Amino acid sequence: MKKVVGWIDQRFPLTAFIKHELTEYPTPRNLSYWWNFGSLAGVVLVIQIITGIFLAMHYKADAAMAFDSVEHIMRDVNYGWLIRFMHSTGATAFFAVIFIHMARTLYYGSYRAPREIMWWTGQVLLLLLMATAFMGYLLPWGQMSYWGAQVITSLFGAVPFLGDELVIWLRGDFTVGDATLTRFFALHYLVPFIIVGAVLIHLVALHQVRSSNPSGINLADKDNIPFHPYFTVKDLFGLCVFLTIYSYFVFYNPNLFIEADNYIPANPMQTPVHIVPEWYFLPFYAILRSVPDLLGGVIAMAISVMIFAAMPYLDRSKIPGGARYRPFYRIMFYIFVLNVIVLGYVGAKPPEGYLVPLGQFATFLYFGMFILLPFGSKIEEKWLIERGLPAEVEALIAGEEKQKGDRRKKKDRRQGKEASGDV
Amino acid sequence: MFRIIALVSLMLTKTVFASSTMMPLADVQMTQDMESIKRGAMVYYNTCRLCHGMKYIKYQNLQEIGFNVSEIDKLRGEKLISEKMISRMTEDVSLEYYGMVPPDLSVMAKARKHGPQYIYTLITSYTEKDNVYDNSFFPGIKMPDIFNISLAKGDLAKSVIEGKAKDVTEFLTWAADPRAAERKNLGKYVIAYLIILSIMFYAVMKRVWSRLDT
Repeated sequence: MKKVVGWIDQRFPLTAFIKHELTEYPTPRNLSYWWNFGSLAGVVLVIQIITGIFLAMHYKADAAMAFDSVEHIMRDVNYGWLIRFMHSTGATAFFAVIFIHMARTLYYGSYRAPREIMWWTGQVLLLLLMATAFMGYLLPWGQMSYWGAQVITSLFGAVPFLGDELVIWLRGDFTVGDATLTRFFALHYLVPFIIVGAVLIHLVALHQVRSSNPSGINLADKDNIPFHPYFTVKDLFGLCVFLTIYSYFVFYNPNLFIEADNYIPANPMQTPVHIVPEWYFLPFYAILRSVPDLLGGVIAMAISVMIFAAMPYLDRSKIPGGARYRPFYRIMFYIFVLNVIVLGYVGAKPPEGYLVPLGQFATFLYFGMFILLPFGSKIEEKWLIERGLPAEVEALIAGEEKQKGDRRKKKDRRQGKEASGDV
Repeated sequence: MFRIIALVSLMLTKTVFASSTMMPLADVQMTQDMESIKRGAMVYYNTCRLCHGMKYIKYQNLQEIGFNVSEIDKLRGEKLISEKMISRMTEDVSLEYYGMVPPDLSVMAKARKHGPQYIYTLITSYTEKDNVYDNSFFPGIKMPDIFNISLAKGDLAKSVIEGKAKDVTEFLTWAADPRAAERKNLGKYVIAYLIILSIMFYAVMKRVWSRLDT
């Protein structure tokens, strides 16, 4: 064994890689369970890709056969029901995990310097995930698949001048049809592998800047522990808990996340009474509908997803620990989460009665909070500094400063030695 | 995470209930009792199949609900055992009579919100007034009152028909998701295994992390 590893090490930095990225990779020891969701997202991605490849072996991307082939998978293919429900439940699980992962980043301010590139690659990953989920939803070729795709592709018609051409170009036809289905299938198979690539970039960035932690400042070396075995076992424990919950939905409630209408084959001649997107798009869908003008709605929806990228610049406070030591930001965080849930509720219902003004108010609040943040965070910072930071934060900062100082001295000494050695 | 999942599922179920604006659904729970499913299959075969096909159910699939080969042979007649159970009425004829093709029933129990309750309520809600037939759950429905529940006199006659409706609903529920029993059975083992594995990893984690506290 040793010989083999030695042989490889001469040609490929295997041991060095494992040491650097795993057994000696320093990870803050105070990470809470909220830090499990990154690795969970990675596992869900793998589940989706594997089940997806097996589904693709039996699925027919043809408007006349797609619906039948999904039923064929669930009835006739050995354990076809399992791979199909793992995949459909996996989509929900993926978004649940990603939303929590994002909420953690927002709560603890993990997007702040030097982790901007992590946050932005994450933003790109979110967009890719949304695109993949949207295209995948067309494939069962049910009523909701069809009309969902019809509605969302028609939104591109709001683009000035090019709109109509763009919609036809996207669909490959004047309405969603066979051409749309085949291209969505091709892209639904392709994009996940682009996601894998983007995840690698996300991880390279992570290993450069290292994990953030609940205290919000970089911990002293003594408070960093090797990733393996401490966090491998913690991630495995979290994974098992996650899989238990996931299995409950796969085995006992797999149709909870599938609209009943989607078991009716797509019918271009008959619009369902009420077209609703999947739950993970509902808040953004509510924003789209809350703006009276179509183009305005499309722009608002696009911004509502992309605005997270601006967080490192919108949040101007330097107080560490994200929401933990910042009462104003903490309140804003909870209002924001609540507001997103309200938007989701509005998005799920037909736009009638009090829901219209409620949706508009929630949309206003959604953007209002991002606009308020730069000013609020600065005022809050000033107020907190005047009031004095909590003792534990002061201690953490002092500890880190001291360690930085020690490191600098050590480095200077080493460099001094090297310099004298040269002479 | 649990809280978010709970909230989301709450939202979803609320939506489901809120959108059924018609009359309330009958409170029947599916037991998926094999005898009842088998009786329901016969009701489908003799009655519903006149107009409705079930293209995802083949004659051979009836073995899964307790029919033996000779029983199936009797039902299929000249047809192959691997053939689909299609409606006895051709599309042309149904278009002529009803102006539409009656929907396929293979996935009906999952193609409506609260599918089994929907089906049961629909077939037991026919009314008759001055020789005019209608359905209080689905006014203007084109499907005739095939079980004659609107003409049933007395509780006994009515309950016999309701029993038939229950059986056929059980059958359609099975047909929409024939792997449900297998799924739920396998689920027990998977979840038990995962819970044990979680506990074991928790113990390992505590042990590994305890090294740090010195």
